[in-house]
Amino acid sequence: MFSRFFSRVALLAAPFLAMIMVGCSKADMTVRQSTLDPKGPVAQVQYDLFMKTVWLVVILFALVGGLLVYAVIKFRFRAGDENKPAIVEDGHGNPLIEIGLITASIGALVIIAIPTLTAIWYTDDVPAESVPTSKLSVWYPRVEGTRENYAKAVEEQVLEVDVIGKQWWFRFEYPQLGLTNDAKHSVPNEMVIPKGVAVRINLRSEDVIHSFWVPKIAGKVDLMPGRKNHMWLQARETGHYYGQCAEFCGDSHAYMLFRVEVVEPAEFAKWVQRQKADAAPVVAGSKADKGKALFAAKSCVMCHNVGGHFGAGAFAPDLTHVASRKSLAGAWMDNRDLKEQRALEQKTNNTESSVAVDPATLKANLIKWIGSSGTSHDANGKPTKDVKPGNRMHYYKMFNVAGLNETKQTFTAEELDCLAEYLLTLK
Amino acid sequence: MSHDSHHAPVACKTELAPERSDLGLIRPDRTTGWLDWLTTVDHKKIGILYGAFAMFYFLVGGVEALAIRTQLARPDNDFVTARMYNQLFTMHGTTMIFLGVMPLSAAFFNFLVPLQIGARDVAFPRLNAFSLWTFVFGAFVLNASWFFEFAHLAGWFNSFEWHKALVYTDFAPANGWFSYAPLSGTFGQNGQALRFTGVGTDFWIIGIQVLGIASLAASFNFICTIINMRAKGMTMMRLPVFTWMTLVTAILIILAFPAITVALIELMFDRAFGANFFNPSAGGQPVLWQHLFWIFGHPEVYILVLPAMGIVSEVLPTFSGKSLFGYPIIVFSGAVIGFLGFAVWSHHMFTTGLGPVPTAAFSLLTMAIAVPTGVKIFNWLGTIWGGRVRFTPPMVLALGFIWMFMCGGFSGVMHSSAPADSQQQDSYFVIAHFHYVLLGGVLLGLMAGLYFWFPKIFGRMPNAPIAYIASGLVILGFNLAFGPMHYLGLAGQPRRTHTYHAGNGWETWNFVATIGAYILGIGVFLAFVNLVWTAFRGKKCSNDPWDGRTLEWSLPSPVPEYNFAQAPIVATRDAFFEDKHGTKRIGAENDGGEAGVHMPSQSWMPLLASAGFLFAGFGMPMMAMGIPHAGWIVVAGLGVLFIGIWLWALEGPGGYMLKTPAASGTPAPTETVAH
Repeated sequence: MFSRFFSRVALLAAPFLAMIMVGCSKADMTVRQSTLDPKGPVAQVQYDLFMKTVWLVVILFALVGGLLVYAVIKFRFRAGDENKPAIVEDGHGNPLIEIGLITASIGALVIIAIPTLTAIWYTDDVPAESVPTSKLSVWYPRVEGTRENYAKAVEEQVLEVDVIGKQWWFRFEYPQLGLTNDAKHSVPNEMVIPKGVAVRINLRSEDVIHSFWVPKIAGKVDLMPGRKNHMWLQARETGHYYGQCAEFCGDSHAYMLFRVEVVEPAEFAKWVQRQKADAAPVVAGSKADKGKALFAAKSCVMCHNVGGHFGAGAFAPDLTHVASRKSLAGAWMDNRDLKEQRALEQKTNNTESSVAVDPATLKANLIKWIGSSGTSHDANGKPTKDVKPGNRMHYYKMFNVAGLNETKQTFTAEELDCLAEYLLTLK
Repeated sequence: MSHDSHHAPVACKTELAPERSDLGLIRPDRTTGWLDWLTTVDHKKIGILYGAFAMFYFLVGGVEALAIRTQLARPDNDFVTARMYNQLFTMHGTTMIFLGVMPLSAAFFNFLVPLQIGARDVAFPRLNAFSLWTFVFGAFVLNASWFFEFAHLAGWFNSFEWHKALVYTDFAPANGWFSYAPLSGTFGQNGQALRFTGVGTDFWIIGIQVLGIASLAASFNFICTIINMRAKGMTMMRLPVFTWMTLVTAILIILAFPAITVALIELMFDRAFGANFFNPSAGGQPVLWQHLFWIFGHPEVYILVLPAMGIVSEVLPTFSGKSLFGYPIIVFSGAVIGFLGFAVWSHHMFTTGLGPVPTAAFSLLTMAIAVPTGVKIFNWLGTIWGGRVRFTPPMVLALGFIWMFMCGGFSGVMHSSAPADSQQQDSYFVIAHFHYVLLGGVLLGLMAGLYFWFPKIFGRMPNAPIAYIASGLVILGFNLAFGPMHYLGLAGQPRRTHTYHAGNGWETWNFVATIGAYILGIGVFLAFVNLVWTAFRGKKCSNDPWDGRTLEWSLPSPVPEYNFAQAPIVATRDAFFEDKHGTKRIGAENDGGEAGVHMPSQSWMPLLASAGFLFAGFGMPMMAMGIPHAGWIVVAGLGVLFIGIWLWALEGPGGYMLKTPAASGTPAPTETVAH
C-alpha cells in the first residue's frame, strides 16, 4: 500500500522534477537582459540580495514542503481507520508550537531584512566612496588637452546623465559635457558611459510613465512625469548592454528599447568630441543632397535636429550621428548584421560583444522605418502596418493643436531612397 | 410546501392570486423558470447565478489569456496587433479579478454563509439581488467595449461624424488593469484634457465603478448577516473559518473600494471635464493615482485570496478527519493579513522613486505580512498531522492550493526585498509570482470549493475520475505555463510587451509557457464541463457525502428554500460533526411556531434599479465617443436607478409565512452517511 502510494506520488512529482532539472540545465543565465549576470556594483548588490532570498526560500520550501508531503503520506487514510473513533482528541492546536513557528518565521525574515536595508541605501544614490572630492571642473571642455588627465579625472568623478523618456524612445543628455537638447547635442536611445565610473542618472519623463532598466548594470527606476527621480549605476566591464522600458507606456511599449555602450574612459572622451561635431556637408547634386532637400520639404526638420544642417527641431531624436548608431527606432531595429552578431556572441560566449554597424542593414531599416511609420496610409492611399504603431513621426493628429492637425506625409520609393542616402552620411 | 399570506393559512403559494405590494403592484411569485431567476431574493439562487456568471467570465478571461500566450509563442509574432494585445491583457486582468474570482467568491459567500451560521437568508435579501444584478450589468458594460472594438475594426462606425472626429480609436480598454495615470488620464494645460487613450478607458472606469457598487452593497450585507443573523450558540469563535474569512473579506472590501472609487471619479473628472488630478502638465500628480490605486489594489489581493483560504480551511479538516489546528490563530492571522494588507501598498511602487525611508518601511512591512501567511500554512499542516487523510477531488485541489500558494508566497518574499525587487518589478517574474498566488492559489482553492460543495448545492456528485484528470491538467499546465516565467523575468523580459526579438534567449521558454497555457486551458474547461454536466445530469448523492463538519451538511441536498426547518442551536465548533460523532447535539428552536417561518418576497425592484447602471454605464463612454445626445442616456440611466430605488422603498418589505416540515414539532430528519 505504502509503496504503491509512494510510486503514485513519485509519478506525479516526476514531470515537475524533470521540468526543473531540464529548465536549470537549459536556462542560460548570461542572456542579453539577464539579471543573473551582474556587470556593475548596483546590479551586483541586487543580485546578491536576490540570491540570499533564494537560498532562504529554498531551505524553507524544502522544510515545509517536505513536511507536507510526509504528513500527507504518513497520515493518509488506511484500511481499518473507519473503525477508530471519529473524533481525534488532540487536534485543536498547541500554543508552544504556534509561538515557536511564528518566532522562527520572524527570525528567518530578519536574515533578509538587514541586507535589504543596507542595500536600499546603497542603491539609492551614488555612495560617498565613489565621490572622493569634488573636482567637477575637470569635466568642462578645458581638460581637453591632456588625455591622461582627462581619463584619470573621468575615473574619479561622478558623471551625470539625464534620461528623458518619451513615447517610445529615450533621450540621453550629459549636462556636464554640454551634450544637451538645448545645446542641440542630445543622444537618442544609445547611452554611452565610461567603464568604472559612477554615473548618476536623473530620470525625467515628458509624457507618460516609463522605466529605465539595464538589467546587467542596475535595476529599474521609473521616469515619472512631474517628478525628478534618480538612480546611479556603474559598469565594471566594457561592452554593449541591452535595456528596455519596463513600465507600460501605451501602444508601442514593447518597442521602447535602448542600449548602453560601456567604453574605456579614453574612448569616452573621444566619443564626447564626436557627439559635439556637426554633420559633414553633403556632395552637391548627389542623392544625399536630394535627400537633404526632402528632409526640409517633408517637414522632418520640424522635429529632428541635424547639427550643422538643420537646427529647428528639438522634439524628436537628434539625427546628427544617426548613421553611427547600432540601432534605430527606439533601438527596436538593429543596424548590425545580426548573423555576424550571433556568431560573435556564440564565439566569445559574451553577449556584451558587438559587431559594427552594417550600412546595408542600416539603409534597409531607414527605408522601412520612414516608409511605414506614423502614416496610416502609404503613397497609394492604402493603410500600412506601422513599425511602431502610434508613433508620432510625420503624423501629428494626436496633438490636435491648430496648425499641426493631421500633418501627414507620404513618400515614394525614390524619395525614401534619397532620404536614406542622406541619413547614411550622418556619421 | 405551503405558505401563508397575511397569516391566513393556505395550501400552496402558486395557487394564489399574486400578492400585491404596498404600491398595489403585483409581486412576482414564480418559484421556477426565468422569471424566478430574475426576481429571486433567495441567497442560494443568487449564489448559483453569481457562480454561473463567474464561470462564464473565467472562460472569457481564459480565451483572452490564450490569445496573449499565442501571440507570445514566437518572437516577432503578429497574431494580434500591439493595441489588441494591450487590450487583451487589460481585459484579461480586469475580467479575471473583477468578473471571475470575486463573483465566484461571492457565489460561495451567498450560498454558504447563511447555511453555515444557521440563518434562513442574508440580512437584506433584496439588496443581495441588487448586488448580483449590478455586478452583471457592470460586467456587461465592461465587456461591451469588445463589441464596440470589433464593430470599429469591421468599419461599422466609419460613416458617422463622431467617429471621424475621434483622435483615439481604441474602444476596448488598453490601459492595463492598473490604469496608471497619465496614460489613462490627460495631458496639456488650460483644461484641454488631451488624452493618451481612447474611450476604452472610459468603459473601464465606469465598468469598475459599477462593479465596485455591487461589491460594496454585497459586503455590507454579509457583515450585517454574519454579525446579526447567527443561530443561537453560534458565537464568533464558533463560526466556520470560511464565514470568518468572508467577514474579513467584506470588511476589506468596504475599506478598500472607497479608495478606488475616489480615484476613478477623479480620473473620470480629468477625462470628461478637464480636471487636473493626475495631469502632470497642469500640476497634477500621476503618483497620486498609484497610491490610491494600490491602497485599494493590495487589499484586493487579499480580497481574492482570503475566501480561498477559508475554503481550504474547511476542506482540510473534513478530509483529515480532524478539527482545524489552531482555529483561533487561523482566524486571527486572517484578520492580521487583512489589517496588514492596508500597510503594504507601496511595495507595488518600489521603483517609483519613493526615497529610501518609505521604501525601507514598506519593505519591512511586506516581510511582516509573510508571518501570518506562514502561520496559516503551518496550521494547515498541523491539521493534516495526525489525521486520516482521505483523497477526494476537493482534498487534492486543496493540497494543490497549499503547494502552489506556498510557491507564490515564497516568490513574494523575494519581492519584499526592495533592491532585489527593482530587478523583478514589471518583469515576467512578477507575472509568475502572482499567478502562483491567484491561479495556483485562488483558482485551485475555488475549484476545491466547487467540488466540495457541489453535492450540497445540486444534490449531485461530480464525476471523480474526470475531476482528477482536470485537476492534474490544471496543475501540470499551470506549472508549465508559469514556472518558466520565473526564469523569463530574471532573464529580463518585461511585462505587458506584445512581442520580443529573437536573440534575447526568451524564445524557448515562451514557447513552453504557451504549451502550458493550453494544457491549463483544457484542464479548466474540462473541470467546468464536468461541473455543469453534474449540475443537470450528475449522479444523485446523499446529504452528507463527505462526513462534513459544519451546519450546511445537516441540511437536505439541494437545500430547501427555508434552509432550516427549525433554527438550530449550536453548542460547539464543528457543530454537525460533534452532533454526529460526539456528545454535543445541535438543538432546535421551533422559531416559526404554528404560523411557519417568515420568508422574503421576490421583487423586480433590485433588477430595475441595477438596470439604471446599464444605461449610465453605456452612456458615459458614448459621451466620450462624442455620440450626440449620449449624455441623455446617462441621465435616463440615473433616472431608472432612482425610480428603481424609490419603488423598492415604497413596495414594502412583503414576505410570507411558510410551514416547514418541522413546524409540527418533529425535527427535520438529517441523514448521515458513513464514508
